[in-house]
Amino acid sequence: MRILLLALCLCLAAPLPLGAQMVEESFSRDPGPLDYIQGDSYEQWILQSLAGDALVGIAATGRVVPRLATSWKAQRDGTITFTLRADARYTDGSLVDAEDVLWTLRELLRNPKASPTKRAILAGATVGKDGGRPWIKSPKPLGRILMELAQVPIAQKGHPDRGSGPFSFRKEPGAWVFDRREHFLKPRIDGLRFRLMPDAGSVLVALQKGWLTIGAPPIRRQGEVAPTHRLLIQPMHAQLVVWSHVGVGPLQLLERWRKDAFPPQLLAQNARPSRGLWPETLGFEVQAIAAEAAPPKGPGTLRLSYVAGEDSVEKLLLALRERARRDGFDLQLLPLEQGLLVDHLQKGDFELGCSMVVFEPEPWAVLEYLEPSGPMNFTGWRDPRLAAVAGRLQQPGDFGWTELQALWAKNPAALPLLDYQSVIWVDKRLQVEPSAMGLYLTTPGAAGWRWSQGSPEK
Amino acid sequence: MVRSLLQGALLWALGLGLALRLPGSVWKGVTAAPPFPWQALGPAAMALGAMALLAPLAAWLGGPRLAQRRALALLEAPPDLLWAALLLALWPAAWGPPGLVGWLLAFLAAALPGEIRWLCQALPGETPFPAAWGAAAVSRVRRTVLLRLWGRWLAARLPLWLTATLVLERILGVPGLGTDWMTRVAARDRPGLAAWILVLALLWLLSQPLEREDA
Repeated sequence: MRILLLALCLCLAAPLPLGAQMVEESFSRDPGPLDYIQGDSYEQWILQSLAGDALVGIAATGRVVPRLATSWKAQRDGTITFTLRADARYTDGSLVDAEDVLWTLRELLRNPKASPTKRAILAGATVGKDGGRPWIKSPKPLGRILMELAQVPIAQKGHPDRGSGPFSFRKEPGAWVFDRREHFLKPRIDGLRFRLMPDAGSVLVALQKGWLTIGAPPIRRQGEVAPTHRLLIQPMHAQLVVWSHVGVGPLQLLERWRKDAFPPQLLAQNARPSRGLWPETLGFEVQAIAAEAAPPKGPGTLRLSYVAGEDSVEKLLLALRERARRDGFDLQLLPLEQGLLVDHLQKGDFELGCSMVVFEPEPWAVLEYLEPSGPMNFTGWRDPRLAAVAGRLQQPGDFGWTELQALWAKNPAALPLLDYQSVIWVDKRLQVEPSAMGLYLTTPGAAGWRWSQGSPEK
Repeated sequence: MVRSLLQGALLWALGLGLALRLPGSVWKGVTAAPPFPWQALGPAAMALGAMALLAPLAAWLGGPRLAQRRALALLEAPPDLLWAALLLALWPAAWGPPGLVGWLLAFLAAALPGEIRWLCQALPGETPFPAAWGAAAVSRVRRTVLLRLWGRWLAARLPLWLTATLVLERILGVPGLGTDWMTRVAARDRPGLAAWILVLALLWLLSQPLEREDA
């Protein structure tokens, strides 16, 4: 014990950390190496949006805005020609040019290990350059391809880990660090440091002790905001979705149950029962299931597979089970490890499957439910009218979206139970811009943040 | 000897097969496995080194009777989670996050009592002899036994220590070898997991000469 005490004393005598004007943040899982070609996860998007620039960006309002390209021109045949900024540089000082754009896009199309999300964005596209200006020709509507290109940052030719973004990236042991650099977005904070903190309880302690500038506390403690922080609630393009491989009947029941199954104290501030079929945050009207058949009547048994280990989801599903019991249904809950559940969903080996879905920030994201090869079409959903209706979707808000949703409503394969909101604590001195895409993925994103008064005392 | 080697090799081969054929897929998630955290090897070696020295030292000082002490059992009982949470709660805010130092302290607090008891229980009884021959004889016997035990004890516990710090890593925000293992499971990095199994099997193979007992 004496030795332990001695070790403790030695540690207490360790030098104190030096102050720094960094935004301290946390990741809940390892984003992997910064890679503009192969990287594909929410955390990886954050790395790429801080250290890289896409041709276009999406503002917090959801509008497409210039980023690497100052302007673009669309032709009748679907070709979009971009004019690049003259002042965008990579971290080695070289200018961003059309060759880099072509290399990035071609590498994404060529490399079978490239990000599946980005490959899907560029599916069927051809790229080229015309007098130093890159062009892209895609079978997708102009509005869709522009919004999707905001998720494709451009890497330097031959360097899949080098971008031209407002922050330069360096990896430290146990931390991902971004330092401000000369950039056309003119970042006003010195930098950001992310540490890996998968445990929400630890995030709470770190927030309370001032070790984190931004963080998401555990659901049951969201309201007890530390005096140094403020509560920030952002809508998210995220839902808890249930797929049915046994027809629309169970979804009709779930549509009824979701209205009154979840006690408010379980939902807290970060979730509320969904009202429609597709995310309202993406601009969709609330639409009910319009199947011709009546919902099934109890007694009956339903088997719902879900991702094990998510405490809040498990509690909500237990509440749903109780609600089902009142209608004479035995809702059996089958917890599965995430990877195994995905396997079951992809093989169609499920009755009801439940998972959280984060949608891309544009309405075309719902086509993942509908298209034959869509990554969320787990039930083989198809309709002969889909191609014609989808072809008319040129811009968000077009009438075609109502038509498409009506098509889905007749025989949906999935139904959202909950709409999520992002509930985070932010240091009172840090000015950030909330959006449905979160704090990082918009333009200017973190480059637009600022400290409200002098240097933070860290 | 050959038979036990074959049995062990069979078990490791089974583990390797399981790693290579791990069921499940990733979807809209991490597709590329993270690089191996080489920087975590230093802290891991430091933790293991501290453990390899402190536990035998405490066993040498305490002797077999230490294994029966209630105080040691009390220290041994709390799970890693509790030690990490306690350290996080007590760590002064002005010092910044506990980092590696905190992780090392929590690791020793969580693992040391159990290892000390393990070693103390393995020590032979001391009454009437060598206790009757005096303190010097007792000390010499303990030293001899511990030196014989040390290698085998390390070989038996090393695989556990290398990966069982996951809980501490998660709570203290210090990614290390345990986190790497779990990330590879989540990302279904089958070759990476197979490499892990092979390294652990190699450690086991290297420890086999230590198991030999001279007649």
